[in-house]
Amino acid sequence: MKKVHIIIIIIIAVAIGAIFTTLNNTSTYADFGEAAKEPGNEFHVVGKRDKDKEMVYNPEVDANLFSFYMTDNNGVECKVVLHKNKPQDFEHSEQIVLIGKMKMPEKEFQASDILMKCPSKYNDGKPQASK
Amino acid sequence: MNYINEHLGIGKAGNLFVILSFVFALVASISYFLASRDNEEAASWKRIARISFRIHGLSVAGIVGTLFVMLYSHYFEYEYVWHHSSKDMPMRYILSCFWEGQEGSFLLWTFWHVVIGLILQRTAKTFEAPVMATISLVQAFLASMLLGIFVFEHRIGSNPFTVLLRNQPDFANIPLFQNPHYLDKLDGRGLNPLLQNYWMTIHPPTLFLGFALTVVPFAYAIAGLWKKQYNEWIKPALPWAFLGVAILGIGILMGGAWAYEALSFGGFWAWDPVENASLVPWLTLVGTAHLMIINKNNGQSLLAAFFLAVLTFVLILYSTFLTRSGILGESSVHAFTDLGMSGQLLIYLFFFLILGVYLIIKNWKYFPRQSQEEGIWSREFWMFVGAVVLLVSSFQIMFYTSMPVWNKLFDLHKAPAKDVIAFYNNWQLPFAFITTLLIAVGQYLKYKHTGLVEFLKKIAISFILSFALTIWVIYMLNFDKQYYSILLFSSIFAAISNANYMVMVLKGKIKKAGASVAHVGFALVMLGVLLSTSKKDVISRNTSTKSVSALGEKFSDDDNILLTKGDTLPMGKYMVTYTGKRAEGINIKFDVDYFLRDASGNLKKEFTLSPLVQTNPRMGNVAEPDTRHFPTFDVYTHVTYADLEKIKEEKNENKDEYDVEKIKSLKRGDTIFSSNAIIIFDSISTNVDRQKNKIEENDIAIVAHLRAIAVSKKYDATPIYVIHSNMVLPIPFELEPLGLLFTFRKINPSNGEIEISLQEKKSNTKDFIVMQAMIFPYINILWIGAIIMALGTFLAIVERIRK
Repeated sequence: MKKVHIIIIIIIAVAIGAIFTTLNNTSTYADFGEAAKEPGNEFHVVGKRDKDKEMVYNPEVDANLFSFYMTDNNGVECKVVLHKNKPQDFEHSEQIVLIGKMKMPEKEFQASDILMKCPSKYNDGKPQASK
Repeated sequence: MNYINEHLGIGKAGNLFVILSFVFALVASISYFLASRDNEEAASWKRIARISFRIHGLSVAGIVGTLFVMLYSHYFEYEYVWHHSSKDMPMRYILSCFWEGQEGSFLLWTFWHVVIGLILQRTAKTFEAPVMATISLVQAFLASMLLGIFVFEHRIGSNPFTVLLRNQPDFANIPLFQNPHYLDKLDGRGLNPLLQNYWMTIHPPTLFLGFALTVVPFAYAIAGLWKKQYNEWIKPALPWAFLGVAILGIGILMGGAWAYEALSFGGFWAWDPVENASLVPWLTLVGTAHLMIINKNNGQSLLAAFFLAVLTFVLILYSTFLTRSGILGESSVHAFTDLGMSGQLLIYLFFFLILGVYLIIKNWKYFPRQSQEEGIWSREFWMFVGAVVLLVSSFQIMFYTSMPVWNKLFDLHKAPAKDVIAFYNNWQLPFAFITTLLIAVGQYLKYKHTGLVEFLKKIAISFILSFALTIWVIYMLNFDKQYYSILLFSSIFAAISNANYMVMVLKGKIKKAGASVAHVGFALVMLGVLLSTSKKDVISRNTSTKSVSALGEKFSDDDNILLTKGDTLPMGKYMVTYTGKRAEGINIKFDVDYFLRDASGNLKKEFTLSPLVQTNPRMGNVAEPDTRHFPTFDVYTHVTYADLEKIKEEKNENKDEYDVEKIKSLKRGDTIFSSNAIIIFDSISTNVDRQKNKIEENDIAIVAHLRAIAVSKKYDATPIYVIHSNMVLPIPFELEPLGLLFTFRKINPSNGEIEISLQEKKSNTKDFIVMQAMIFPYINILWIGAIIMALGTFLAIVERIRK
């Protein structure tokens, strides 16, 4: 066997390793229901902020704790506790992606991170007459 | 309707240039193809091809010039101009407007190809025709991105000269366009304020020049395969490959520097898909260039060199596809939105991939082969291993980055894991270790065969020195991450042994030292990355919440600090004070003073940092960091939360008034929060000083015992609940120092709960910010390394061209 062959075998082994660890090191897009079934696992949940329910952020007490309510794409509502600062502009968010785990039996979603999509008015202005 | 003052002529001129550039790229490609055949007509085809490519180049210059004139003159009737510029924007940003949009950035790329093509016309000699055939074809594909014509209801390209604002379907019913004089009132949407800085002026042209340079090794490789000049293409293509390594490397690091200075990623590298998309082709380009060196010296690794040259160019196309198709969506901070050209990009990508792979397979059996295998103690063997490591490393990055693509192809629902950065770091560390180790020993190995004793003798001093230095650094910095310490050693080893090579072996002959200098630079980059990342110290621990832990609750002790205006808090070795905010245009700056204690224990102001929040009309509020640079470390801060609404509020209200009351039901042990304290309900009792509170004998009086825990002190609060002849007459308790007013409203005998109303003085809601601060130690090693690496590479290129 040539040295090149040994190297090729090593490459293939490492590449397969990369593929598998990568696939294992992902979370899954899910809704609150699915997240509740597997409380230990991390999920990405997409939904909308519940505008009528209260948001609590007391930075004086804990700058890294923010809670609010979100409705997922199936219409299921859940309390969310975000272990981070309240994102700037949170009120304007249109769509939210939460990253975290469901805490049972309280049925609180413990989010470690949040991604927000701001409304399109920011992305696309319309031509307007200037004064 | 006849619109007044529109400048439709210039658009027609621009469109003509677009069509010309496409047609003549195609003509150049075909005629160069015919010119590269061995027959009598070849010479005349070559003349036609040369002229065609020059006309193509002039047309591209024409497109660029026309677009500049349009931007400069504020012709907002054109969608591109309206979209990317405005009247009040300073002219120094006109370049940034030019390439903010996709069309402009394709144009920039095309422009660099033209420059490269014109140089190759003069220098490539016998390779001119086959190399330029490929480059012209690439140009035809790129030029088609600007065509903006419809073929069987499919739009090909997006043309900045033919899309008029008033014809945009999105804006069809806007009343403004009912007015023939609409242009008098129209202003552009303007350049995104986030991009209004000098980075946006220098980063894209550098990066795109790097992208463009990858076409040269690719075109040479195709020419080599096609003309069966399997080894001859290497020598002329080699300086280009290294120029690409230098420029693309600088472009990527510039992106890192931009992110570090102006974006609140919290660092210079976040393994963001867009960053990865340019890093991966750089890695494979470095691999390509080194394989080409092997081949030039002893004719080996040819297949791998061909393969990587093709792969690098295809990866450039793939990363263009990733960033411009919108497929990355939310997984990246700065992906472009889809302009409907992703299909076109894919055709382009597969065309060149299939072309390359087909030619390699077809020619494989004819490749010249070395009769003997390279020895294990030869430079070429370990260089080959290095190239393979780079390939595997880039595979790992690309596979993970492409997750949205796999999701789409296989209908998966995979999302990136929470700690993407750690995952990449852990995977890439062994690759970086092997690469730096190979860099350390590579130059000491000779081609074909190295005497082992001689090799060990030469390398020993660097090895011992590096080992000692590593131990010293580990000790001095308290470097406790064992996994990272192997990279610490290999980077130091690579830097020292290459520096030593320059002194001992090359005897300081700087002309020949290009490779050594570049390798020292790369080793320093790795060292800077390693030290600043692994010893990164988040100093903004939540020191203001000492009282919270008294509750015994699980409060996350995370990376943010709350600074109330006027208060001084410890942060790392500093004491910090938030002194207030000020508005500068759309930026709101938050001034934070940093103090150190001098010898006599007095606080001495060291510096002020003003991280800002930009109230960006296009993207909402965006935080921008502020950094203080010291020779051995940086203090980096950015605001994570600030109450911007308050800035707009009027300030003439009476601060001494109590605000509206909040009523809370409490069980024993329950807590409520005020803006400045945590209040715990301990108990109720009848232990009331009736005389002092003027409560009559027959009245029922119950006192609630509350504890208010503020940052520095604890207080008791005892509101009293009184029933006086069937009427509830509570006696409120005012806690002056905290500006709190408690009223005992109700008592529920069945479950023991009580109702307390809490009011706060309006002055309590003080101005505050939530901020992150971190120290990046030795990050300057990274930037210095980057400069050294670039200088070394240029040195090596100059030397190769001189030969």
